[in-house]
Amino acid sequence: MLKISHLVKTYPKSDRIAVDDISFELRPGEIFGFLGQNGAGKSTTIKCLTGILPFDSGTIEICGYDIQKEPIKAKMHMGYVPDNHSVYEKLTGREYVNYVADLYKVPTDIRTERMDRFAKLFRLEYAIDKQIKSYSHGMKQKICIIAALIHEPKLWVLDEPMMGLDPQSTAEIIAHMREHCAKGNTVFFSSHNLDLVKKLCHRVAIVNEGKLIDLFDLAGNEENKANLEERFFRITGTYEDRLFEDYIAQESADMRPDIPVKENAEEADNKDTDDEAAAEEKIDSAAVVEGSAEAAEAAEGDEQ
Amino acid sequence: MKGEFSMQSVRTLFKLDLLSRFGSTHKRGVKYRILQYSNYLFFVAIYALLIYGIYMLTKMFVTEGGLTTEFLTIAATITLVLATAISTGTVIKNLYQNGDNEMLLRFPVSGKEILVAKTIYCYLHNLIVCFLLMLPFYISFGAVAGARVGDYFAYFGVTLLSTFLPFFIANIIAVPVMKLMNVVKNQFLLVLIITIAVICGIFAFYLTSLGTFLNYLRRESESLFSSGTIQYFKEFAQNAYPFNFYAELVHGGIYNGLSSGQLALRFLYIFLISAVLGVIAYFVCTKEYYKTILYGIETEKASFKKNIKDKQRSVAWALLRREFYLILRSFNYSFQYFAMACAAPVMVFFCNRLAASMGTESLGANIMPGLTLMVIIIFVTIVVSFASTSISREGNCFYHTKIIPVTYTTQTLVKFALYAGVATVSVILSCLVSGIYYTTDAGGHLLSAMDVGAIFCISEILVVSLTSLYMLIDIKSPTFNVGGDGELVSANKNVALAMVVGIAVAILYGVFAMVFSFIPLSIGSWQITAVGGDIGNIYLILSLISLILLGASLSALFVKLNSKYHKIIP
Repeated sequence: MLKISHLVKTYPKSDRIAVDDISFELRPGEIFGFLGQNGAGKSTTIKCLTGILPFDSGTIEICGYDIQKEPIKAKMHMGYVPDNHSVYEKLTGREYVNYVADLYKVPTDIRTERMDRFAKLFRLEYAIDKQIKSYSHGMKQKICIIAALIHEPKLWVLDEPMMGLDPQSTAEIIAHMREHCAKGNTVFFSSHNLDLVKKLCHRVAIVNEGKLIDLFDLAGNEENKANLEERFFRITGTYEDRLFEDYIAQESADMRPDIPVKENAEEADNKDTDDEAAAEEKIDSAAVVEGSAEAAEAAEGDEQ
Repeated sequence: MKGEFSMQSVRTLFKLDLLSRFGSTHKRGVKYRILQYSNYLFFVAIYALLIYGIYMLTKMFVTEGGLTTEFLTIAATITLVLATAISTGTVIKNLYQNGDNEMLLRFPVSGKEILVAKTIYCYLHNLIVCFLLMLPFYISFGAVAGARVGDYFAYFGVTLLSTFLPFFIANIIAVPVMKLMNVVKNQFLLVLIITIAVICGIFAFYLTSLGTFLNYLRRESESLFSSGTIQYFKEFAQNAYPFNFYAELVHGGIYNGLSSGQLALRFLYIFLISAVLGVIAYFVCTKEYYKTILYGIETEKASFKKNIKDKQRSVAWALLRREFYLILRSFNYSFQYFAMACAAPVMVFFCNRLAASMGTESLGANIMPGLTLMVIIIFVTIVVSFASTSISREGNCFYHTKIIPVTYTTQTLVKFALYAGVATVSVILSCLVSGIYYTTDAGGHLLSAMDVGAIFCISEILVVSLTSLYMLIDIKSPTFNVGGDGELVSANKNVALAMVVGIAVAILYGVFAMVFSFIPLSIGSWQITAVGGDIGNIYLILSLISLILLGASLSALFVKLNSKYHKIIP
């Protein structure tokens, strides 16, 4: 379904190898998890396999079609949901999905049936005819998913799909991933949610600093499932920093701090009365935060 | 509006506002600074030109027509109306539409404090605008009329007094204007039609006025003002309340024979009108501000609903439709492109008429084809320069163009077809307008049918060449600098480059056609144009150059397009 061989990618004007000789293959009907810390090379790999980024060497095949030699055929079999949910916000949901369906040459009756089904599944019936600009974060994510599935792709690629979604939406997406795979299709997704990956994926790959460090089965392998977190922390070099213990402790224990008992009510009242200088300080510090964010953005823009 | 009021918070908010606007400490490169200083220089040059124009206008009225207070009344009317329009825009933008309202409301400050801090900024902005608009008129008047030193202090005082009226009116009308804008926000076609009408109207008015003014400069010795015109201006000045109060306050004592008491009365009128409007503005703002910005935050994402039927379309049609909607549904883009393309024929007509009236008299009718060609190419450049953001405008959605199963060539061709298609319609209409007018008796037969046909052919070849060249510029170096609404934050460097290239081509073509309409041109023994010009050969040369440019730009865009497009990293 997806075959990546010796993929190497370096960004222009950068010495660092973003993806360093990664190879793996995805089977039909499986859900494949792609793990790694921020900057490990997950999104770069996904962007290479979807055709967004050019790469230096290696090959990527989707359903037997080389993404570089036969990009149109390869893309025809793939649906992609980006991590930033960027869509054409000036269009309505239906216009957008219709546009994507046109590009994938989906006949009218089939697209209508699928769109209605997905809109109902993702509870978007009331919003599908509204401009996407008015959608919430989760709704944009859902319209991206509908657009990615409108042509029933053999390979469904999702980049951190659950980020910022409510529990209901997450559950809906998981249910549909399972349904999609049950039809013999493949789901490839990147995530930071180890618990979800453990429960949902048949196999998982862990990348670190651009290299594929580990790839193992989770389906039917209880030991691998139990060790997933430990392996992840060891691979990413954070096991020794006691971060693993903290993570495990946080996962299992109650983290709620105790509420301090008020000993002197008057003291507390005094603290509450803010003077003007304190107010100004608050405004200034808040502004500094906003300002530094803007400055960082500007600096980033300049660097690019 | 609830909450405490503290001047300390107001001061802090105001300082914060100024810092966010002008306090960037981010170090910029030499290129950026050169560009910045060039912008300042350009602004100063334009302003100097404007002052010169105002001075000449003052001379025209005061020396030629003997219209003193009348001129000051007209000046006060124009500048106050203009200042009100600018101030209304500033108030709407800063008080009600500014994205920082949501952020500021999170601070421990009241809505009233935010209002006061922002109002101070708006007033200062209005103050600068009023001084920049009004002082050139008053100072020119003083220079022409030989005013005393003390009069210049009076000009300053009256200008200061004039700042209140536009500011208070702006504050009163800002809320209803904004509500009206919200109503028509999603009526894209209506907004586009209104925009086109307004652009055409302003342009026609501007060029007609400029024509009249240039006529005056040309025939300075002749009398411009008939007794009827002078009478009309006098009646206007007598009835133009309250603008004539400002004019009389400046020089009513000398030119209208007003006593000190009458002048004091004029001051009192202005003071009372301003005070009443100020009180109304205060109540409107304090009552509506908090409510309006909260409503703005709540309805920021309000959009339209459109029920359509699912229908399969061809890939090219789907791409074309999407591109069209994205332009139409953005005010900025539809203004830059559709509105300019539709208004271009009107602009070409008025520009041509003005240039023809000035040029043909001084140089002869021979320059007309070259002039028409130059004017059409300049407007074509403005319209087609939109193609130089074809990739940049994709913004965060650029990834989409890479993942869809459509070749980059098809995607580029579709955009190319839309941009060149709209510009072609604009060129056809421009040529038709010029052709219909200048091939008739009314237009003095300054153009022949062959001229119009040749101008169309050359302009059309340039439309295609420039479109492909501009698209290539953006493919080579896109700038994905988009705002929250997914639109480009401002015109990027590619637009500036496109404009420079297009205007250079227009000037070269126009000057070439105009110059060799008079001067004989020969290469070796080949006599291309004889004395007195041979426009047919000039068209031939320009067509050949255009065809070479066409071939070069098309091949530069489409040869190895896949490789160029693939290299774009969002």
